[in-house]
This record gives sequence, structure tokens and C-alpha cells, in this order.
Amino acid sequence: MYAKEMVKQSLPLIVLCGMGAIVAGSTLSLMAELFEKIPGLIVVIPAIIAMRGNISTALGSRLGSAYHLGVIDSDNLWSNELKQNVFGSIVLGFIVSLIIGIFAYTSSVFMGRSPDPVIIISIVVIAGILSALILTLMTIAIIFLVFKRGWDPDNITGPALATFGDIVTMICIFASALIFVGVAT
Amino acid sequence: MIYSWKKIVKHGLPLLTIAVLVEIFAGQILQNYETELIGRLLIFLISIPVVNSVAGNIGSVLGARLASGLHVGYITHSLKDKEMHQNLIVSLLIGFFTYFMLAIVIYFGASFGNIVGNIALIEFVSVIVITGFLLICVVAVVSVLTAFTSFKRGLDPDDTVAPVVTTVGDVMGIVFLIVIMGIFGVGI
Repeated sequence: MYAKEMVKQSLPLIVLCGMGAIVAGSTLSLMAELFEKIPGLIVVIPAIIAMRGNISTALGSRLGSAYHLGVIDSDNLWSNELKQNVFGSIVLGFIVSLIIGIFAYTSSVFMGRSPDPVIIISIVVIAGILSALILTLMTIAIIFLVFKRGWDPDNITGPALATFGDIVTMICIFASALIFVGVAT
Repeated sequence: MIYSWKKIVKHGLPLLTIAVLVEIFAGQILQNYETELIGRLLIFLISIPVVNSVAGNIGSVLGARLASGLHVGYITHSLKDKEMHQNLIVSLLIGFFTYFMLAIVIYFGASFGNIVGNIALIEFVSVIVITGFLLICVVAVVSVLTAFTSFKRGLDPDDTVAPVVTTVGDVMGIVFLIVIMGIFGVGI
């Protein structure tokens, strides 16, 4: 009966991630006024959260594998391998943010709304890069701490990034929207 | 050197583009109900990341467990596998318990923030738990099918299940929430 261990080992983490999501949801509710002022903004929310989750958990699991392969270690963390991984994640975040902005604008026009393309795309791209930088640094910090203690990064990075990733992303899109709300109104 | 940033971008881009396209669809549903969600139904806007996060995590854990089971061989490639059925039932139970607890936390958090409006605790908890239950069912089925199909085609389920499950879960989570809210007659 392997299923019992699923309850014991994953239930606490799933509840913890849920608590993190409540913080992310509360940030979302604080943005209510911004959604009213910037048409099309609410459309990008699920996409940007999903993008960030995908890119940062992939980075975390690649770095975990790199650790197991002996390619990176805590004494020589800032190696060329790590730099390639970090740079790749940030470039990917930039391109996908741009795609999200364009999709959000065109689909909104198709739905009969009229958002400002420059504002929507700028908000997504700035939030995308900002959250990429913060979460990449967080991933490296987590990996570093995990190495120091001799734990397996594969068990830690996924849930840790799932919990903090949504919150950081929401705060970044909030900040980015605040910059542009003056232009929009 | 085994990693190159160009490869990371090239390998990640196609799947991510499809995922965000589907997520934009979810975003359009939100925009459609925007006025209600940022008005008197704010408590449900808070719940959206929670509904999606719990289902996404359960689906990913289930997928990872099925993947390991298939790799090692203690789960057979059959829809009648008993070990898989146990995993499904446990996922549903974990989901039920988690949604129930988190719904109560959200409700009391929201009453402190004075944004509950005229929605009763029992009404709110029922909507979230039923939405969550339906979503876990869909996510579990998608997880099993993705794991089995990937395994059959020689792809590693560890790479495929999480992105597929979270993307499908995000859209269906929003759809189920809106539908169940409608059935309960809360606002929409």
C-alpha cells in the first residue's frame, strides 16, 4: 500500500502551497481597482502565473539534476553551467511574456474590448522579467542552502517555488501595473 | 558543458507557447465576469489561485507517482491497475480535505477584510469543495491519461504530466467555479 505515504508526505506541502495561494489571491483582490482602470489586465493573470511556475520549476529541477550529475556544487556554484541555465530561463521568460501580451491584446480585441496594446504588453514584459530575476535568485539561494545541508534539491525546490512563485509573480504584476496605471487613465 | 541557454529556450518555447495560449482563454473567461469578480464576489477572485494551486499540485504529485510506478514496474500499463486506483482515491480524499480547510481559512480571512458580502459560510465552502472535487476528478483523469500515453510513446511522464495537468487544471478550475457559483445562485 504505497498510497498511504502520499497522504503523510505530500498533504502538508499541498496545504502549505494552498496557504501561499491564499496570499497570491489576496494580492489579486487588492488589484481590483487596477483591473477596472486597465482593460485587458485580468486576462494575463492566469498565463503569467503559469509561465512563471513552468519556467522556475524547470530551472529548479535542471539544477537538481546538475547537482546529482556533479556538474555544480556549493563550492563552485556560480559556474558557466549555472550561468547558461539562469540566462536561458530569463530569455525564455522575456519571450513568453511578450507572447502573453500579444495574445492577451489580440484575444481581447476579438472579444470586442479595446485595451491599449503598448500598456498591456509593457506590463506583462516588465512583470515577467522582474519576477524572473527575483525567482531565479531565490532558486539559486534555495539550491545553495540545500547543498550546504546535503539535502536532495529535488525534494525541496518544487514545493518551495510553487509556494513563493505565485506570490512573487502577483506582486510583480501588481507593481508593474501600478507604474502604468497613470498612463492608462 | 552540458547546458546551453539557446537549447533551454528552444526546448521550452513550444510547450510554453501552447500553455499560455490556453491560459489566455482562462483569462478571457475571467474578463467576461470581471465586473462581478472585482465587485461583490471578490472572495471568489481570492479563491481562484487557491483552487488552481491545490488541483495542480495534487495532479503533479499523482503524475510523478504514476511515472515512478511505471518506470519501476509496480504500476502496470492498464486502466484496471489496483495500485493506480488507490492513488486516485487518495488524491480525491486529500483534495476534499484540503479544499474544505482552505475554504474556511479564506472565508474568515475575508470577513476580517469585510469583503464577504451576503455569502454564507456554508454556501462558500460548498461552492469551493464541489468545484475542487470536480476539478480533482478531471485533473486525476488527465494525469493518468498523460502519464500512460507518454509512457507508451517513450516520452518521460516526469516531463509531460506537470505542464499538461496545470494548464488543463487552470482553465477547468475557472470554468467549474463559474458554473457551480451559477448553480448555487451566488451572483453569476
